[in-house]
This record gives sequence, C-alpha cells and structure tokens, in this order.
Amino acid sequence: MKPVFILPVLTMGLLTGCVTAQTPSANSQIFAMDTVMSLEVYGDGAQAALDNAISTIYHLEDLWDVTEEDSEVSAINQSQGQPVPISPETSALLEQSQELSQLTDGALDLTAYSAVSAWGFTTGDYRVPSQLELDTLKTKIDYTQLSLNVEEQTASLPDGMSLDFGSVAKGDLGAILSEQLQNQGITSALLYLGGNVQTIGSKPDGTLWRVGIQDPSNPEQAALGVVEVSQKAVVTSGSYQRYFEENGETYWHILDPETAAPARSGLTSVTVIGENGTICDGLSTALFVMGLEDGISFWKQHPELDLDIIWVEESGNVTITSGLESTFQLTEAQSGREVTVIAP
Amino acid sequence: MNRTTKLVVILLLVVVAVCSLYIFQTSTQPSAQLLQIYQHGTLVQTIDLSHVQEPYTIELKGESGAYNTVSVEPGRVCISHASCPDQVCVHQGWISDSTLPIVCLPNEIILEITGGGSDLDTIAG
Repeated sequence: MKPVFILPVLTMGLLTGCVTAQTPSANSQIFAMDTVMSLEVYGDGAQAALDNAISTIYHLEDLWDVTEEDSEVSAINQSQGQPVPISPETSALLEQSQELSQLTDGALDLTAYSAVSAWGFTTGDYRVPSQLELDTLKTKIDYTQLSLNVEEQTASLPDGMSLDFGSVAKGDLGAILSEQLQNQGITSALLYLGGNVQTIGSKPDGTLWRVGIQDPSNPEQAALGVVEVSQKAVVTSGSYQRYFEENGETYWHILDPETAAPARSGLTSVTVIGENGTICDGLSTALFVMGLEDGISFWKQHPELDLDIIWVEESGNVTITSGLESTFQLTEAQSGREVTVIAP
Repeated sequence: MNRTTKLVVILLLVVVAVCSLYIFQTSTQPSAQLLQIYQHGTLVQTIDLSHVQEPYTIELKGESGAYNTVSVEPGRVCISHASCPDQVCVHQGWISDSTLPIVCLPNEIILEITGGGSDLDTIAG
C-alpha cells in the first residue's frame, strides 16, 4: 500500500476527531439552602469533584440552617450569652462577617435576623411591623454584641438577639467550593448558587465565562448586561429578589440595620465582582444599604479589596467601576440606558 | 499520472467532499434547543423544542397533590399552572433559551434549556 492511501484515512480521522473531541464534564442541579443550585465541573475527575462539592453543600446547609433547631446558627441564637461550640467553617464565616461589618460601619449586620423574621421574610407570612415594634427591633441589631472566640471555636449572643447567614452563606459556599475543587485539580467549573455565581478558572476552551446580570425591572426575563470573568465570584443583591406589596407600597428583604426596615437607598441592585465570594456577597448587601454615593466612596477607599461593582438605580441608570469598562456590556435590548464609569 | 495515483486523488476528493458536506450540514442545521425537565433533582424528560410541531402539556405530579403543568410549544416552554403558593414559576412566563431556567422551589422543578441562541453561560441575580 502506498503511503498516500493514508491521507484520506488521516483526514477523516482528524475531521471526526474535531467533531467528537470533548472535555469530560459533570453537572448537577440540587435544591439546598432554600434555593436552587446548578454545578458544572470540567476536566479529569469532574464527577468525583462534583460529588464532593454536593456533600459539602449539604454539610454546610446543616450547620447554617437557621430554621433547623439543631443547626449551629440556632445554637448561637439560643446561647443566651453562654459560649457554644462551633465548627471551623462557622467560626471562619463569623470572623469574616464581623470584619465586613466593621469595614462597612455596620451596613452589613448578621444580627438583623430578628427584624428579618418580624417582616416575615423567613417564612413568607409577610407583615409590616408597627413603628413601635421597629424601634424595639433595631435595638436588637448590633454585630458588636456577638462574642466569638476563634481559638476555642465558640460563639454566643445575648438573650433576645439572633443572627443568620442569609447575606453571606451562598458567597462563602462559593469560596469554599472554589478552593475545594481546585485542590482536587479542577481548573474549570461554573457554580450557580441560588443567584450567586462562582467561576473556577476559565471555560474549558480557555475563553472567559459570560455571566448575565439580571435586570431589576424585569428580573424574570432578559439580562441587563453581561460581564466576562475568570476565577471570580459575581454576586448581586437586589430589591426584586424577595419582596411583598401592601397598600401600594413595596417592601423588600434587604433591611437597613439602623431602621430595621427595608433599605431605601435609591438602588434596585448592586453586583459585586471579585475573587472572594464571601466578601462579594457580604458587600453586595452592605453596598445596597449604603446607596450609590456612599458606595462609590467606599470603593475608592478600599482598592486593596480589588473589587468591581455595578450599581443599578431606581431611575434605571447604571454605574460601573473602571475595571469593568472593557468587560461589561449592556444587552441589545438595554442599550438605551445611561452607563457612568467611575475611576479610582 | 498512473492509474493508482488517479484513484487515490479521486478517493481523496470524495472523502473531502463528504466531510465538507457533513460539516456544512451540521453547522447550518437549526441548532438543537434541548429542554431538560428536572423533578427533585432528577432528570425526568428531555425534549428538543426545535422539533416540536404542535403545542402540548405535561403534568408533573408531586407529593400530596403538588403539580406543575408544563406547556410546550415550538421553540418555547412555560409553566401554565402550578400548585405552589408563590406562583413564581407561572409568572415567569415563556422561556426559549438558556438565559434563565424556570424554577419552582416549593415543588422542586427546574426547566432548563441548553442551546437556543443565548450566548450567556449563566446569570447572576
């Protein structure tokens, strides 16, 4: 046989190879932490890494579920000032949350849980508390009252106060899973954790992940814009995420710790993009509470956090930080909006 | 050219032609628009929405009377009725691409489309 006969065979082999070659991948959808999560993991060992990630999710859900009597969060809420033992994961998250509370001068405060329940956001039995009730509730919001001992791994709260991880849990989960997947050799994964997005590396083909940002005025349909990222968390806090209406007024789940009532700062959503999911999650809440002007000052004062931010105002105007100038794009349907770019 | 060389050239041309045709066809075909229906985390049905001819509905039944009615039409899908208290899945309306799945949290239903022209990998919010 002449060597030239090999050519067609080689050509066919190459062509079919091109068409069928695929990176191994594993994906799963689960319901956990009162939301839906979708995990896509690529590369060798994807399935095993995905299985481990799912176990981690259920484990952390057990620790942090404020509605379960035997969770660690419930133990802290019932501690009546007496230190109760907590796991390293809970201790680490409390420590990081406390730092974020200090950094934002209390705009993030996990101890707002009593107020969150009073409004019915935990159960769906919504109600508007009276001003008298709110005045009492706001005295129960004070992160400095949390006593945390990182060495002994204990925590406690005074009687009558309670906390929950609603504003940081999914972000922290993203950070923990990101590290865990990378330790197992995974270099490409996309985690959708109930609205929070955590990317590990880039897409299997080496290009950036394209993450849509929900349009607060039409959250169920089109995206407002798109950011392209790798190895980043993308976290949004928006007034459209959980809310109810009563007598023509809309009340949402992001409360201002100073008033114990929904934070009315003129914003409809804040998206924070950065390497650490816990920071992005906690700060998206805090920046929503602060409003646009204070948020911009905060961003300028903290270049060390290396964050990019997208603010959407009630007017529909969009403000982005300069790092997003080349990677953020409005979608076609939204191209009429005004976008302001903030430089450091 | 001797006979064998001619034969090889012809054979090569045929192979290239066939392969080109195959690639051309697969790239110009309307891309599949796969709807995957998950119930309690398990994939229960896969439908190619680009091949749907006539509208029809699917009843997803859950525990203690829970149900979601899925309306399937050419190129799009929605949940038209559901037993859940919040009705978020019903209010979302039709979806036709991968931008945002329809999720019914109370009944643990996910309708997710892959393909269909969206260029987003996921959506934050």
